[in-house]
Order: sequence, then C-alpha cells, then structure tokens
Amino acid sequence: MADRVRYLDEVMAEIDAEVRRRRASGDLPAGLERELDELFLEFSPVGLQGRARLRETLSLVDGSAYVDIAVPTASNKAVGSYIKRVMRKGLGWYMNFIVTQIVKFAWSVSRMFHVVVDHIEDLEAAVEAHRSPDLPASVAPSASDGGSWWAAAAVEALAGVTERVVVADCGDASLVEALLVAGVDAYGVDPSDLALEPALDRGVDVRAEPALDHLEVVADEALGGIVLTGSVQWLRPNERERVLDLVSSRLAVDGTFVLHSASPAAWAASAPPVVRDLAPGHPLHPETWAHLLGGRGFVVTATVTGGDDRRLAHVGGDTADSATVNAAIDAINDQLLGPTEYLVVATRER
Amino acid sequence: MTAVHQFVPALLPRDATGDHTRALRDALRAAGWESDIYVEAAHDELQDEATYFEKYPSRARPGDVLLYQLGTSSPVAEFLLGRDEPLVLDYHNVTPASFYEGWEAHTVEKVALARRQVAALAPHAVLGIADSAFNARELEDLGCPATAVVPILVDLQTAHGAADAAELARLTADHGDATVLLFVGRLSPNKCHERLVEALWVYRRLYDPDARLHLVGPTVTPEYAEAVFAFADELGLADAVRHAEGLTGAELAAWYGDADVFVCLSEHEGFCIPLLEAMRADTPIVALDAGAVGETLADAGLLLEEARPATVAAAVHRIRQDDGLAAFLTEAGRRRLEDFAAPVTRQRFVEVLAGVAGREPVVA
Repeated sequence: MADRVRYLDEVMAEIDAEVRRRRASGDLPAGLERELDELFLEFSPVGLQGRARLRETLSLVDGSAYVDIAVPTASNKAVGSYIKRVMRKGLGWYMNFIVTQIVKFAWSVSRMFHVVVDHIEDLEAAVEAHRSPDLPASVAPSASDGGSWWAAAAVEALAGVTERVVVADCGDASLVEALLVAGVDAYGVDPSDLALEPALDRGVDVRAEPALDHLEVVADEALGGIVLTGSVQWLRPNERERVLDLVSSRLAVDGTFVLHSASPAAWAASAPPVVRDLAPGHPLHPETWAHLLGGRGFVVTATVTGGDDRRLAHVGGDTADSATVNAAIDAINDQLLGPTEYLVVATRER
Repeated sequence: MTAVHQFVPALLPRDATGDHTRALRDALRAAGWESDIYVEAAHDELQDEATYFEKYPSRARPGDVLLYQLGTSSPVAEFLLGRDEPLVLDYHNVTPASFYEGWEAHTVEKVALARRQVAALAPHAVLGIADSAFNARELEDLGCPATAVVPILVDLQTAHGAADAAELARLTADHGDATVLLFVGRLSPNKCHERLVEALWVYRRLYDPDARLHLVGPTVTPEYAEAVFAFADELGLADAVRHAEGLTGAELAAWYGDADVFVCLSEHEGFCIPLLEAMRADTPIVALDAGAVGETLADAGLLLEEARPATVAAAVHRIRQDDGLAAFLTEAGRRRLEDFAAPVTRQRFVEVLAGVAGREPVVA
C-alpha cells in the first residue's frame, strides 16, 4: 500500500512539473485560467450584473411564457401510449381554450417586464449622462479636528445633550473625545478606515461608514445631536436633500444640529483646481443652510465664522483717498478674504 | 419477527437511491426480517413495491425499526419526527444550498429545507448510517448520537450488465482516435462541468486538438446546463462536447467503455457512484479531492488538490502516455471495487441494523 501511495505521489509530482514546464515555455500564458473562469461567469447568472442580468432574466421569462399543449404520449406500454393519444385528442379543445388564456396572460406579463426594463435602461442612461467623475482620494475633505477653531463652539452647542451624539466624518475623533470629556455620549463615523485607526487604537467608539449610510440605519429620533462636516460640503444636491431629511428624522425634537463648512468664496479661492472642477457639489452659504433647515422644522440658533482670516488692514490717514482705498479693501475683504469657514447651530423644534 | 421498514421520498427505477432501497429491502428479507418500503411517491413501474407513507400507522407493530433514506426534502421527514419507533437515518447527503444560489431560487429553497430536515432528524435518530465518513461527519456535527459508515448498496454487474456493442461502435466511429474524457453526473452547479470544459480546452491546446468531452447525466438545473454549453460554444468546443441522458445500463456501460479517462471535478459529492462505475469499466480516473471523492477513490485514481485546467489536462495526458500508470490505476480500481461488493455491503447493513433491532445478524 505504501509503495502504491509513493508511486502515485511521484506521478503527481511529475504532473506538477509538467504544468510548470508548460507555463515557463509560454504554452500556458499567465492569467489564462482566470480568463477562462471569467468567461464562464459571462454565461452565468451568478456573474451577470446590472443590465446584463436584467436582460438574461427577461429572456427566461420570455422562454417560459409559452405553454405547449402537445402533451407527450410516449409510454412504456403500448396501451398507455394509446390511452394518452386518445386523451390528448379528446381534451384538445379544452386544453387549447385554457392554454390560450394562460399564454395570453404570460405574454402580457412578459411585455410589461420589457416595458419596465426599457424604462430602467432609459433612466440609467440619463443618470449616467449626469454622473460626476470621482475625485482623487488625496483631495478628500479634511476630517474634523477637535483642536480647530470650531471644536469649542461645537462642544458648547452640544453640552448638556443627554441622548447620543454622532460626529460624521470624524477623522481621528478628537472632536468625539472633546465631547466625551464634556460629558456628552458621543461617537463617530468616517468612511476612511485609515483615518479611524488612531481613534480605534485609543478605544474610542467609531465606525467605518459614510455619514449617509450610517444615518440610514439609525432609528427615528434616536439621536440628541448630529455634527456634520467634511464631505457634507461636496454632496450632490440629491444627496444633500437626503442627508437633511435623515437629520430631521433621526434627531429627537429639541435635538441639536451642528454643521461645519467652508465658505463658498474661500472654497472657490483655495480649493485645489481638481476639486473645484470635479466636485459634484460645492459649499453653500450659511443663509442657504438656514433656509433648508427652516423648511424641516429647525431654527438656527447661532452662526459662527472662523478659520483663516486673511483680511487686509485699512490704510492709515484721514484723506479722501484713504477712505476710497479702505472702501475697496472692505469690498475685497468681504468678497475674498473674510473668514474661510463657518459653523451653523440649529435646534429641531418640530 | 423483527421489522425494519424503509421510508423514502420517491422510489424511482434506474436511480441510485431507488436501487439501493430495493436492494436493502431484499437483503433484509433474505435475512429473515420483515421489510417494506413506504414512500411519498413511486414511479409507475414500482407502484407494486411501495406503500404511501401515511398508511404506516395502521400497519405499525411493536418492535418496528424505521429507516429513512435521506437525500432530499420531503413531508416524510416531518412524519418520522412524530413517530416513536427507533429511527435510523441512511444519509446520502444533501448538496448545500450555496451551490444553487444565483442559478435556481426554488432549488435553493428546496435543499435548504432538506438540510433543515437533516438537522432536525439527526438528534432524533438512534443511528445514522452514512455512505461515507464525509457524510457521517455531517450527521455527527448535527447531533446524531451514533453513526456507522456503510457504502450504498449498488450491484454494478446487475445494474449495467455488458456494454451495448452497437452504442460502443457508434461512439468509436464518431471520434476515431481522439482522446475522450468522460464525466457522469447530473448537470448541476456542484458538479462543476465548466471546469471540465476548461480542462478540455487546455488539453486540446496542449496535447490533442481533437479531444472530446462526453457528459452523461440528467439536466436538473437547466440554466446551469445552458451556461455550460454556451461556454463550450464560446470556446469553439460545441462539436467537441457531447451530452447524453436517459441511457440504459448497457448504453451507459458503452460510454464508460469508450472513454479514455473518467474525470470528476465536482466540488461536493457525498459518495460518487460514477467513480465505482468507472472502476468497473476499467476506465482510469482523474478526480478532484472534494467531499467524499477522496475516500471513495482511495488509490484507484489520480487525486488532484485543485481543479486547475492545466493540471487536469496534464494528468489526463500522463495517463494517455503512460500505459503502466493506466494499468496501475485500472488494477487499483478493480481492487477498490471489491470493498463495495454487494455481498460485503449487504452483510455490513444487516450487522449494523441488527445492533439497533437487538438481534443476531443473519444473511441468507
């Protein structure tokens, strides 16, 4: 027995050597086997995705929509075959009447599916035409920084909140920790595993999820506070609407909403060109947020500006010329060099 | 008189479980025991040999042992869970639902139900008989208190007889000297026919451009079968891949006899009777070591760790080129087949069931 096993082991080793030799000679190009597997997946519903799967399934519906009334009459016994033929002939009119209606129904259903699939494909094409290219990962919005100018204002706005508070795009979770120190039951979410690593190492409650996905699964009125920053500035209009809907439903009545954003002027002046050109959305003015929130039962309780303040100082003197120059400086400051960021604090009243 | 009555979802002719059930009934009767077959459904040809399972309570007698041929979902399982008689499971394995996901939603449901029934029955049984140690482990994992490995009762000599000479001549004339790879088994995703097609494609590219793949088995998952044949067509193998089903025993023996190598790349097999059929036909075997294949095959074939087409092709080529290896494998196959000889298996079944029924085993 041992000899037989040894012999088979030797044969298998020689077979493996033959495969290696074939690969080395180029007879079996690298990736060939993977290509074969992928090719089979093209014929498999397991591998079909999206439109192809829809069409494949539709073809199955079409194929099943026909009912054959020619019942098989073969039988192991001659008399059996005879009886089946008599039955088929005798019941043909009845079967035909029933089957005609079944086929008519099946084809109606099939036709309806074709209309639905055509409509879906039209919608997909329309959506695709408006799709924005993805931004490079390197220009993702900066994550929250508990040491930044607005962290203290956010902590102050949320102090005393007893229900849970979520900080979206929390990054290293320094703001989450600042809230915890202030006695707020806070946790964070961020789409980047990498950004969360330091927080996880420190044992802070953070989850690797985009804010939108997270809010989708939170129960209604389960949160006492929500802090949004980072990518909220760049959301597509429809995503922004969805986030606001979720904020207004997930936040308890009297809950606090804190929004941190770059100002549109500062963003236009300082954001990298790729971001300005490709970002699906852009920062709004604080007044616009107040308008959007007001429509959802929120009252803005504070708007705080901060960030880099690069405003030019007035020139000295009391002349008409200096007054003209200072007026021009004010206009430049207001348009281009004012506070680069702002914080909106709102309370849900209904 | 001790009675061991069998329950089986469907009693079918020319079916492994059906043949096994009837052979076991005959063996038990020959040992002097009462034994009837109770079913949910029976084929026309076997109506006289089966009784509807819900008629059993009116025929039950003290001391009866009930044996369930378990390989699919059935109301029979629920019925047996409500009985007090000692229950023995004869487990032929249920393919995990994951193999059918994406292919057939209703089959996913059906096999998932079957596996739930196995899980419910296993702790309820006094003994689990399994075709293979692989199947026995599944029963043990589900809480079956005791298991015994006894192969399926299959009398290959009686089942297939001699090869149909006309069929053999027709096949040989069809492909000439080309290498023929054969696999026998239902067209179902766990059998991985696409791997066979891939292996054929590589084999033709490297060794024999005229090689053929013969597939024999019922199409139980039509969507999968269509995908396999469309795949073969895409690879330019439409004329090189042949499929047959509904063969008689003699015709099947001819297909085995015609093949140069039997290749099994299934990812899940609870026993794999076609391996024994190939051994009986002296057809050398190349097989993937998955499920119970390794233990059924033992040293009677080339057992592959992976179903990579290049390795399969090289293994087939080696057998084609090395007469000594081919002879070694066919000889090992004949020897291995003796372990599954019907008299040996009958004796083992009677011994195991005698232990449950509390009587001396006697085999006529």
